[in-house]
This record gives sequence, structure tokens and C-alpha cells, in this order.
Amino acid sequence: MNRNNIWIHVAIAVVLITLAGVLGQISRWKTSLNGPRVELSRQSVDHLEIETWDLQGEAPEVLVRFKSGVTLNEIRRLTAEKNDNLSDEIESVAGLTVIDDLDNADAQIVANQYSSMTDTVEYAEINYQIKLDDPVQKSVFQVRLGRREPSAGMPNDPMFADQWALNNSGANGGKERADLDALEAWTHTKGSDEVVVAVLDSGVDFTHVDLIENMWVRPANVPAYSDDELGTFNDINGYNGTDAIRDPMDDNGHGTHCAGIIGAEGDNAIGVTGINQKVRIMPLKFLGRGGYGSTNDAIEAINYAIDRKKNGVNVRIISASWGSTSRSKALEDTIRAAADADILFVAAAGNDGSDNDRRAHYPSNYDLPNVISVAALDRGDQLASFSNYGLKTVHVAAPGKDILSTWLNNGYREASGTSMATPYVSGVAALIIASDPNITMKNLRARILGASDDLEGLKGKVQTEGRICAANSLGNIVKEHSHE
Amino acid sequence: MNPTRDKLVARAKTDLAERLKLTPNDVRELGVSDAEFPDMALGAPESGEMSAQMISSGWRIKFGAGGKNYEYRADKYQLRLHNFNGENHVIES
Repeated sequence: MNRNNIWIHVAIAVVLITLAGVLGQISRWKTSLNGPRVELSRQSVDHLEIETWDLQGEAPEVLVRFKSGVTLNEIRRLTAEKNDNLSDEIESVAGLTVIDDLDNADAQIVANQYSSMTDTVEYAEINYQIKLDDPVQKSVFQVRLGRREPSAGMPNDPMFADQWALNNSGANGGKERADLDALEAWTHTKGSDEVVVAVLDSGVDFTHVDLIENMWVRPANVPAYSDDELGTFNDINGYNGTDAIRDPMDDNGHGTHCAGIIGAEGDNAIGVTGINQKVRIMPLKFLGRGGYGSTNDAIEAINYAIDRKKNGVNVRIISASWGSTSRSKALEDTIRAAADADILFVAAAGNDGSDNDRRAHYPSNYDLPNVISVAALDRGDQLASFSNYGLKTVHVAAPGKDILSTWLNNGYREASGTSMATPYVSGVAALIIASDPNITMKNLRARILGASDDLEGLKGKVQTEGRICAANSLGNIVKEHSHE
Repeated sequence: MNPTRDKLVARAKTDLAERLKLTPNDVRELGVSDAEFPDMALGAPESGEMSAQMISSGWRIKFGAGGKNYEYRADKYQLRLHNFNGENHVIES
């Protein structure tokens, strides 16, 4: 073989390898478009409809709750008569189902058809798509390593001084001690890896250097999550309602920020600390990279948390930093099922600067025994200008403006919103459970609300008229009355 | 000027012209300004949409046509028409 022939063979080999790689990628794309979840949940739906839903955000499903006594066989018969497909059952709520319309009819029309079946159907509603986008990052910091001399019980996390919500020194226009009294609380407990907090959001970057040690991992003795209709999930690192075969990695950032507020590892000489220095964060991803999700995916994720609890996982809190003015009875019923499972549900009150007593915001406005609705405060202990409020419907306030926490790619950033206030309440709840593992959800909720610090500016604005206080909640100090 | 922003403004103008059955030349750009919105749906959620309750940065794009004013909201990843005949619409995402 002469030298020229060698190069020709090498060139052919390179082309073949490249071609194989391209074909492999195409195969992977095809697999991702027709992954197990889609195949299992939409066996008889042609691929064009799948693409319409996945790629264009259409909502071909309705949520239908059948009346007690209607059997699964009857439901299958009723849906088949309409050329519909029973896509899934929500196991935690009796009679609640997800139904695909195979005729591509308007979802509202389909919902109305089921609603009119009053003999068998309790209610039917559209499975709305939930949407958000990748937010513009105001300030992303790289991981800062380096040890600062700890003082007076302060953790050695380099950015701790910027975490005014935990320890407000009065810097940057803040008000001294307008915070959660974290230092005092930490003299009692810094959290526990026995407490699991579910973050129902865009996923969590569970590889983040400041989160990885506090992430929940499914124990070997807990079986993988399996759903009759959706199949078996890859839930080693949590739940991904947008794609059963993928892990719940955050591709937006919002969920990672909320997770860091609850439980970025503390006193590890890296970045920030959560209100819990030690905890277990369980990601429940129901929002996709572009921000797409649906009421159904939120319901499925809550259903997952309930199932894990029944399987021995100590998930006690669901943190929900999202919402809208649209009401879903199916979502309400599922959150009620979480209450029945003794799981606290903490929800953002919303950022329209409006009164939720007059213009309801959900899920925070659901009048359920496990819901805490959270308003946001600034570093001066004032209700943030954007925060919703409501004497009857918003229960308590927490720091929610200029909050520094973890972000994607081992980053950190400040963000504002009731989204940020919510995980502080979830985090304080986790601290309480760490110190009182057998506390009931009802008593936990009462403890958080009863231990708030009264603020003059919250009078007539939120039910407790106060800011949550970690130290008070743990019984360290007497309740402050700053207006007295 | 950010080319993404330019593209979004052009897209919004075309969309409004189509909705009003006008030509783009009949739609007058009144201004584009930086803005902060209450949530990740840019304060313009469609019916039933839910979004993360985090303050989000973007742009407010205003047009005038046929004696009325119209507002679009956008950021790097989406474009929405705010309060058009009482409803919000996602134009691009």
C-alpha cells in the first residue's frame, strides 16, 4: 500500500466515524422526542401531535375528576366513547385523571363536554401550560473560595455578610436585625439531613458545589418511582415531570436559587449558606428549560412527593415559588392530598403589588390547612413594593428583595420576588422539624405563624402582621414587638 | 443596540400590523424602554399560565396605530402582547 492510499483510507475512516456520530445523535434526538414517557402516556397519539405539544406548547389534555364510585373500567369506557385516551391517574386524589383528546379538539370544548357529564364527573378543566423564561442575570458571581475568620457563631461562607436576610447588619440601607435571627436559631440547630424539603420548580442544579452535599438522593431501600400509566422514572436525584428518563437538573436557574435559600451548605468556606446549613433538598422539576410546564406536571410532581412520603422518605415540606391568577380545582385537590399526608405547602403570594383578598392568586390563595402564603420584605423590614398582600389570604412575610443565593454553573446572583421569600419560610419549617422531628404539619404551620415578629408596616396587610423568625420558631427568644 | 431586541421590535410590529389588518408602515413605534416585570411571564400571562414569582428584566415596546396605543413586553427569550382587547398573548417564546 503506497502512502497516498493510506491517506485515502484515513479520510474514509474519518468520514465514516463522523457519519456514525451524526446518526447516533439523530437517534438520540429521536429517542428524546419519543421517550418512554411520551410513548407510555400517548400510545395511540401520532407523532405529529406529540411534536405539537412538546415543541409549540399546545395543551391537548384535560384534567377530569370522576365522582366517587366510578370505576377505572367505566372511565376507560367513557373516554373511549369520546375517542379520548386515559393518559394518567393521579393516585393521591381519588378519581382525578389526565385525559388526552385524540381529535385535536379545543381543550375548553373537551373540558366542557366532561363537565356536562354530571352523573359521573365532579369537574373538568384544561391542563394549562405553565410558562416562564430564562431570566436576565443581574449579577453572577463565581465561586469564591477562601476562609474568613469565623466570629460570634457566624458561618465561614465568604458571602455571608451579603446575606442580609439571615443577619442584617444595617449595611446598604438595611435595618439592623431586620432578619430571620439565623445566628440565634443556629445556636439551637443548624438543620438536619433527616429532613427533606421538596423544591417544586425548574429543577435544581444538584451538582452545584454549594448544594451537592445537601441534595436528596433516593435511598437504596426506596424503590424507583413507578406510575401505571407513565412508567418507571429515573428518580435517583429527584423527579422530572417534564421528562421521565432525565434527572431533575435545573436549566433555568430559578429552582437552584430557591434551593440555596433553603439549604446551601453552611460553614463550608464556599459561597453562601442556606437558612439550613444541613438539610436534604428534593428537586421536583415541572418547568422545562424554556419555562414550559403545565398544571398536570405540577400535580404529578406533588403526587410524587406524596408517594415518596408513603414509601418512607421524610419529605415534610413542598416549596412552591410560582403562581398565577388561574384557579385549578385539580391542583387544589392534590395540595389537599399533600395535607392529608402531613406535608406543608408553602406558596408565593405573587408580585403584582396587589391585594390577594380582592384578586386571588394561586396556589397561595387555596384555603387549605397546609398552605402558607408568603409576602416579601425588603432589607428595611418594609413590605416590598412589588409584593402582594392580603389580610385574610396572605399569612406571613419573609425577606424577598435583593436575595443572594446559588445559581447555575456554580454561580451566585441576587434576585427579588415572593419567589425568594417563600423558601425562607420553607427553610424555617425545616429547621423546626430538625429540632422537633415528630411535630405535625398542623402544629408546624401554627409554630411558624405564631412565632413571627410583629411589624408595624404589615398591619392590615398580612394575617399575622409579622415577619417569620427562625429563632422565635425554635423557642430561643421571646417574641419581639418592634412596634411597641 | 442589542440585535435580539431589534429583532423582537420588528417581530412585534409585524404582529400588530397583522392583528389590525394594517401594513407595518401604518404602525408607529413610540418607544422601547428597559423595564422590570413582576414575574417570568413578564406580567402578561395568558389565561391559565403560571410563572415563577421573580422580578424579571426586559423591554417594554410601545406602538401607535389607528389612534390607539399598544404594548408589547419582551426579554431575551420571549415576546408578549399585553392587554390586547383585554387579553395577553405569547407571540414568541
